[in-house]
Amino acid sequence: MMLNPILSFSATRRMRTFRTLLIAGAYAGVLLVIALAMMGGFFGSQASLSAMSGGMDCYAVMMAAQFVLLVLIAPAMTSGAIAGERERQTLELLLVTQTGSFRIVLGKAMESFALLALLIVCGLPPVCLCLLMGGISFVQVLLGEAFLLSVAFGAVCVGIFCSALSRGTMMSTVLSYLMLLGIGALTALPFLLGYPQRITDVVYDAAAYADLTAAGALAMISPLLLLNPAYGFTALIQGQTMVLGTGLEYRSWGRVLCTWLVMERAGCEKVALLSAGAIVLAGLVLLVPAALLVRPRDRKIKQKG
Amino acid sequence: MLKIDHLTKRYGRFTALDGLNLEIADRQLHGFVGPNGAGKTTTMRILATLLSPTEGTAFVDGVNVVKNGAEARKRVGYMPDFFGVYDNLKCREYLDFYARCCRIGAKERAQMADRLLDLVQLSDKRDDYVESLSRGMKQRLCLARSLIHDPKLLILDEPASGMDPRARAEMKNILKTLREMGKTVLISSHILPELSEMCDSLTILDHGCLVFSGSVEALAEKMNGNAPLEVRLSETGGENALEAAVTCLKELPDVKEILQAEPFLLQIRLAEGSEPAEILRNLVVRGVPVCDFHRAPMNLEKVFMEVTQDDA
Repeated sequence: MMLNPILSFSATRRMRTFRTLLIAGAYAGVLLVIALAMMGGFFGSQASLSAMSGGMDCYAVMMAAQFVLLVLIAPAMTSGAIAGERERQTLELLLVTQTGSFRIVLGKAMESFALLALLIVCGLPPVCLCLLMGGISFVQVLLGEAFLLSVAFGAVCVGIFCSALSRGTMMSTVLSYLMLLGIGALTALPFLLGYPQRITDVVYDAAAYADLTAAGALAMISPLLLLNPAYGFTALIQGQTMVLGTGLEYRSWGRVLCTWLVMERAGCEKVALLSAGAIVLAGLVLLVPAALLVRPRDRKIKQKG
Repeated sequence: MLKIDHLTKRYGRFTALDGLNLEIADRQLHGFVGPNGAGKTTTMRILATLLSPTEGTAFVDGVNVVKNGAEARKRVGYMPDFFGVYDNLKCREYLDFYARCCRIGAKERAQMADRLLDLVQLSDKRDDYVESLSRGMKQRLCLARSLIHDPKLLILDEPASGMDPRARAEMKNILKTLREMGKTVLISSHILPELSEMCDSLTILDHGCLVFSGSVEALAEKMNGNAPLEVRLSETGGENALEAAVTCLKELPDVKEILQAEPFLLQIRLAEGSEPAEILRNLVVRGVPVCDFHRAPMNLEKVFMEVTQDDA
């Protein structure tokens, strides 16, 4: 089977620009600075337990930094994917070939995703510096990066959808950031609106909580909340490092307590894995309307003749 | 090769194309002529499967472009009136990319790219970046792109627009070669005399409606009936001859309009159904020294202006 021509072609063109090298260098540089700043306080420490805790803190902070950077970079990287083709007037030339609109969209999405994956790979060495301090394993680092890849893919799909919807790159960029914000807010609704009685009954009843199984807890988590990348990320970091504390610490916080205890009982890493899967699936679904938007068969064109 | 059946495209209340019927035979170089907004680009975009018609349909080599776009795209090569080229890309890579989009195998791609670059006289530019090419070269590269999957029908929307005379001549030669290769070419242009030289047949559109379709000769023949008569007077007769001719012509009821094109050349328009021989007889009887009497030759530009004169 022939590799998607849009993917290989766009990747070749992107890698020929100095901009890509600059972005990758800046991304790795920011993470390196964070890692060194975090590590500075711990080197020379006599207490190994403190160093281990520092390693987990360092990892959590660096993962959070990567999460924020990816969400910020993804729209900027993808907004021109389709809208840029429109601006260059090359989209129609693609549409008259034997490459279908879904293949075009998929190729563009994979190319943007490949760039973000490259950034994540570039960020791996600075993140691995945390391993020197202990408390975190290389496998955990890889799992964390895999979760970030799923977030990057989701953000790319949002960017591609907005790019297919917009006529220009600028509009597409703005729309992508707004849509990511909107998705973040919409998927956080189950958290913001409180919890149904059946959940609070279990959480606030020590005996009922003790009897709660992992599967039962998982069933209590709203699928909408699983689509929230910040929720999945929180579950991941909590599962790997416990740096965010236990449910007991949030007893007086009400809503947060529910989130925490249900997540802990369901298994934080399992929740993160489900969240990653849900995000990737939602991203793929979003590519379908994007493909339909790419072929403007009934859109009015500027009439020349 | 191409059959257009009652093709209509409306945008709300605006009708861009109004029930166009047209047939183009194999291996024809067919010109598509019309003023701005006539519906040429709309027709071409529908044939290229980039636009859906409101009504009607079209068949390319027997394939319905409306219902079976994917199959139709294999048979149609489309070159719009803009370049659509990428930066950071060499000419050979540009063609290779589109060949891959057309699902052409690696071995065939390399040969095809070389052959097409040769055809459009860009062999020496194969490793040059696309953005470094001149406008004419870019147009030729785009033409090569539209030929990459060896289509039977080539749709060229104003391929010579913005080109200098040399680049136009080169494009014209390439089109002649394509006809010799057995391609059917549908070409739109505002450069009408060039179309008349190149094309086997022509279609004139105006306000989305078909005004004329047929051979260039048939069009000229049809329009010749409306061409003005040219009366050249002997210079030896001087100003008196001119005055006598104008006086005589003004008295004739069939003469609608008299125009002095040159010092001793009059152009006259006659009422419909009038007999030119009768005009000549009257002039000769009145002693006007006529040395030449004929219909003005009509080229495509004049024809175009005649049939679309309402837009002027």
